[in-house]
Amino acid sequence: MGTRGGWAALRRRSLSFFLDWLAWGYIAYTVMYLLNHYWYTVYVDWYGTLKLPSWGWPLVVLGTLELAVWSRALGRSLGLRAFGLEVTCPSLGRRILRAFLWHVSVLPLGIGVWLGRGEPWHDRLAGTRVRAVPKEPERPGRRALATQWGAMAAVLLVLTLWLGWLIIGINLQVLGRRAPWAAGIWRQMLRPDFRYFLESDPAFALRNLPFSILDLMVVTIFMAFLATVLGAAVAFPLSFFGARNIMGFSPVGWAVYGLTRGFFNVFRSIETILWAVVFAVWVGFGTFAGVLALTIHTIAALGKLYSEQVEGVSPGPLEAVWAAGGSRWQVVRYAVLPQVVPSFWAFTLYRWDINVRMATVIALVGGGGIGDMLFYYKNLSDWPKVGAVVMVIVAVVWTMDYLSGRLRERIT
Amino acid sequence: MANPYLVVENLTKVYERGQVVALRDLSFSVEKGEFLVVIGLSGSGKSTLLRCINRLVEPTKGKIYLDGVDVTRLSSARMRRVRRRIGMIFQQFNLIDRSTAIGNVLTGRLGYTPAWRALLGWFSKADRDRALANLERVGLRDKAYVRADQLSGGQRQRVGIARALMQEPELLLADEPVSALDPATSHSVMQYLEQMNREDGVTVLASLHFLSLARRYGTRIIALKDGQLVFDGPPGAIDDTRFKEIYGEEAEEVEVR
Ligand SMILES: Nc1ncnc2c1ncn2[C@@H]1O[C@H](COP(=O)(O)OP(=O)(O)O)[C@@H](O)[C@H]1O
Ligand SMILES: [Mg+2]
Repeated sequence: MGTRGGWAALRRRSLSFFLDWLAWGYIAYTVMYLLNHYWYTVYVDWYGTLKLPSWGWPLVVLGTLELAVWSRALGRSLGLRAFGLEVTCPSLGRRILRAFLWHVSVLPLGIGVWLGRGEPWHDRLAGTRVRAVPKEPERPGRRALATQWGAMAAVLLVLTLWLGWLIIGINLQVLGRRAPWAAGIWRQMLRPDFRYFLESDPAFALRNLPFSILDLMVVTIFMAFLATVLGAAVAFPLSFFGARNIMGFSPVGWAVYGLTRGFFNVFRSIETILWAVVFAVWVGFGTFAGVLALTIHTIAALGKLYSEQVEGVSPGPLEAVWAAGGSRWQVVRYAVLPQVVPSFWAFTLYRWDINVRMATVIALVGGGGIGDMLFYYKNLSDWPKVGAVVMVIVAVVWTMDYLSGRLRERIT
Repeated sequence: MANPYLVVENLTKVYERGQVVALRDLSFSVEKGEFLVVIGLSGSGKSTLLRCINRLVEPTKGKIYLDGVDVTRLSSARMRRVRRRIGMIFQQFNLIDRSTAIGNVLTGRLGYTPAWRALLGWFSKADRDRALANLERVGLRDKAYVRADQLSGGQRQRVGIARALMQEPELLLADEPVSALDPATSHSVMQYLEQMNREDGVTVLASLHFLSLARRYGTRIIALKDGQLVFDGPPGAIDDTRFKEIYGEEAEEVEVR
């Protein structure tokens, strides 16, 4: 076994072991939480506190470690399965021997692993071997649940749902109890008040300018449009820097690629609403902050989608342009672009849908647009007017969705 | 006596991914005007060899002299100028499907087009006329404005040939140009290559799958096996023993008519 292969194999083994340990740790934690919840404390606050004496924690750590070791020795655990490994073994006795030997071999600073040279002591002495599962179809008749990893996965799932139910505070009674009250609001909203659809509402004045529903809806559509166009315009050139096949494999290429992709991923993971908070503080409440927020998120989201399209182009035409003496950007212009333009259009239109929907609620955090009016009426509990605004929003969003869907169909 | 047109010296290519040695210490030379056919099983390194010559693939070791110039040492800008004299056609045609035939043919001219014109897609009148003339030459004048994905395999490869003709090449690399085509179409495509070779004096390096095609069109044949040169000589010199050497004991010769 080559050193490099040896390292990779060792890494896989260790990671799969830690995954097992983690799984058992999680199971132990959940069980303790549930015990605590149902037996030891009468009242559990929102997050539920887990009380253990100070010697309890080391016990949990060691106990779960034991569970991990034994579960791996005795069958195919979740961790082994996740990394496509299995422990081959002549007999049950050997498996038990392996679990005992593990303590001698690994606990003293992993001495048996280092000295074992690719085959740790506990495997050598017990005659067992950890290997990648050969790629043959699973034996039929063995359902996932009948296997150890399947059972572990099922237990994890059930415990998580149980825990989730308790932590979230799901309360079906409230849902029923307050239904009549909510129905009253619904009834009012379904009798919408369109008085201020065209005429501006004198009571609702934003920066001393009175607005009607229609005015603000138009403003909102402009916001979405501007953000989509600006975002796409910036994402378009950036996306080529975030594509492996364009940037090549030089150190500079890697750096630019990594930075661009990193930018896309980080900025995309911050939701538009959060960006709106940032920009509302920066440039003040209003549509400008909203457009900036929408634009930033559009750049990152479209940039990532575009880059992936660029990476997925078939390499043949690129080769042809290189071979004819084309330069890098000529390759992009003549071999990459023709392949990606249709999907770029499709993604941009799709993003337009998202931006229209987002623009209608971004006012919640100071981003301006129709949402301003929506939340204004909501705070006054003026439900008929809320109903009117909501209906206009629904109509517009639905129309835009439909239009962009039709356009997408025609393009691709 | 003048130096040969193309000299390959101790060429070795190791693909880093998977540590594959695709070419091992390969040496041969080609005179101007030859029609050299490269044969060998798939995986023997034919594509790698052709791509090393125009450096679509970077050679690991060795030298390649083209007209006395060592292309392995050229900067990428100078390599581009060399590349525009080397036409290339591909097994999978490598056309842009969504573009028209003439759009594809014009890309063969990119090496000669000023940057700003290429950016805007403004090819000169002369280039457009040349593109039409080259399509005419491969019998596709009437398909000039048809999208490439509407064409048949043979037609697509002929667009590929027209694209290479745009470069007015002195050397043509053809990587299994007919492997994706049926026998009848294969011959029509090969005949265009033969014509380029005979009438325009283009030196041709073509890799071919079938020995019968190699015998019919090649003026000389080299054979690769596991990246090594196992034969170099006239087409007639490949007899049954040679054939088994190149293709392995179990191989049967298949005729393409
Ligand atoms: N990009 C690549 N990366 C790694 N190995 C490659 C690559 N291209 C080709 N090879 C390997 O190099 C060898 C020669 O391939 P190739 O030149 O394509 O042969 P041929 O064209 O004769 O079929 C093969 O073993 C192939 O798997
Ligand atoms: Mg090949």
